[in-house]
Amino acid sequence: MGQFEVQIVNFARLVMLALVPYVLASQGTMLGGRTGLFNVAQEGIMLVGASVGFLGAYLYDSLFYGLLLAMLVGGLFGLALAYFTTTLKMNQFVIGLALFFFGVGLSTLFYKFVVGVTLQPPLIPTLQNVPIPGLSQIPVLGDIFFTQNWLVYFAVLLSLFLYYLLYQTSFGLELRAVGENPKAADSLGVNVSRMRYGTAIVGGMLMGLAGAYLPMVYTGTFTEGMVQGRGWIAIALTFFGGWSPHLIFLGSLFFAGVEVLALRVQIGGFGIPYQFLLTLPYIATIFVMMFAFRWVRAPAFLGQNYDREKRTLA
Amino acid sequence: MSEQAMKPGRRVKALAGRLIPYLLAVVASFVAAGIFIAAMGFDVPKAYATIFFTSFKSPNGFVQTLLKFVPLLLQALAFTVPLAAGKFNIGGEGQLIVGAIGATAVGILFAGLPPVLLLPMVILAGLLFGGLWAAIPAWLLYRFGINEILTTVLMNFISFSLIDYVATAVWRDPAAGHPTTIPIGAGGELPLLISRPPLHSGIILAVAIAAAVYVYTNRTAAGYELVATGANPRASMVYGINVRRMFLLSLILGGTLAGLSGAIEVAGVQHRLIEGLQSNYLPLGLIIGLISRGNSLAVPFVAFFIAVLEVGASAMQRTMMIPVEMVFIVEALVLLFVLLSDVVRSASLWDRRQ
Repeated sequence: MGQFEVQIVNFARLVMLALVPYVLASQGTMLGGRTGLFNVAQEGIMLVGASVGFLGAYLYDSLFYGLLLAMLVGGLFGLALAYFTTTLKMNQFVIGLALFFFGVGLSTLFYKFVVGVTLQPPLIPTLQNVPIPGLSQIPVLGDIFFTQNWLVYFAVLLSLFLYYLLYQTSFGLELRAVGENPKAADSLGVNVSRMRYGTAIVGGMLMGLAGAYLPMVYTGTFTEGMVQGRGWIAIALTFFGGWSPHLIFLGSLFFAGVEVLALRVQIGGFGIPYQFLLTLPYIATIFVMMFAFRWVRAPAFLGQNYDREKRTLA
Repeated sequence: MSEQAMKPGRRVKALAGRLIPYLLAVVASFVAAGIFIAAMGFDVPKAYATIFFTSFKSPNGFVQTLLKFVPLLLQALAFTVPLAAGKFNIGGEGQLIVGAIGATAVGILFAGLPPVLLLPMVILAGLLFGGLWAAIPAWLLYRFGINEILTTVLMNFISFSLIDYVATAVWRDPAAGHPTTIPIGAGGELPLLISRPPLHSGIILAVAIAAAVYVYTNRTAAGYELVATGANPRASMVYGINVRRMFLLSLILGGTLAGLSGAIEVAGVQHRLIEGLQSNYLPLGLIIGLISRGNSLAVPFVAFFIAVLEVGASAMQRTMMIPVEMVFIVEALVLLFVLLSDVVRSASLWDRRQ
């Protein structure tokens, strides 16, 4: 392989690596949104996931426990969102923002209580690559797709599974119906609030996992605000992907690409101030949203609470 | 029955009915946090005494509180004004930063001008730049219908890079270790009210602005259109209010308020641009705005309360090693309990009707 090919393969490998938090967080957002529950606490849940994921891995010396703990806490956040909005019928955006604050505060609080203030932050080992036997031997493709950590495989399989679940099963049809017209779904015997609780909890778990991925793959430690807006970008991504698992996956590829590109150009120099390259993902998000609105159709009942005792919707 | 028509006794009762849920919410959050602090092995009464009384024990503590109160008040208003129209401005942080950049730029470029000219220019630059920064998401909402929560937040992240660029590449102060610009001209500094400990006159400006916002939203026809838009956009549209233009206007107005807080930080406190001068004013401003339920009369009081907690919290971290984030959790809990009190009240109203 020539120099150029090596560069391309490296780039593609990094894109696959950077893809994971976007896929997990935005598929989690999509799941809730498809039942009408609009979670805006991604950034906070991911921060808390990063914090407890790191701490779990650090204290128990096991990345697996860290990931499990991050999913548990993320699930609790999802449960809280579902309880306040579905059971108590409170405004989804307000509760989402409140949970975002909790996430931001708790992430640093947990870290300070467990680790304290140190000059040298403790490190955890990063996730190992798990080459898939056979497939990883394929030239080029094997390096890019089949020699990654297992969360990369999980993100891909999850997207495939969600596509199957939403569009090929009757359960998926019921789930989507709750987000489009909960009254109709309710009259057909679908339990609207149970559906919302379910997607909120699973969505929260995925966001927690997305957060825990960051210290386990990128830095090896937790730092304040380390999610750096990926949670908010995940919301944009979900819109961009039209609330469909397969398009969200493609959108994540695009955003991961922009992120890696900004990083590469920064290292390469090229005379552009690095501050401007850092803004690339955010500016790309805004531009994409400007064009996405033409084709995107969000779930009709997105962001609203369903009250079965009311005669009208909304 | 309108409030004016009530007898004094009933008015007191009505006010108490509004305040009691707040007090209960505050007590409940401190009890919840106290259990946590005690479980971590800290002295709870001492911690709470530090939180509540640091602001009132010394002139220094009180001035510190007022200096925190100014940006918190303006940040909260930057959130509540668009909220009155039903829009969420989560971009106060970026609008503060860009407002501060504008103020600094004018303060440095026209450093030689006398205070009569330079000070108003610095303040106006803050207003203008903050408003322009908010105009981008406002326009995206107006033209393309893009959710404003998302775009205002993304603009924050862009502003972080912008301030880093200005403070390290454009007007860098080579003597400072942290990214900082050279100072603005002396004419751009806000005059001091008290020199020791220093308290700048921006507080008068902030309080005047808060009063103006109250008058605008509660006593003028234009402000009423804004509030009506938030209360029922469809009915307002039928009535002939240009709802989308109200959204645009409210967000830009919010941006100018946040930009003003940036200009005051530069002209009153730092006298230069320092990376990180936005502190955690955005989340606190949001919490203040939500606790006040968007009521612009309540905002200054809640902002002062939060300023007291914040000053107390940093004293608590210094003397007792309890992380400041503990108080952030308390504030988020207060918000949650205040919101919950609405649910409880509407449920009990429902019971009475039955």
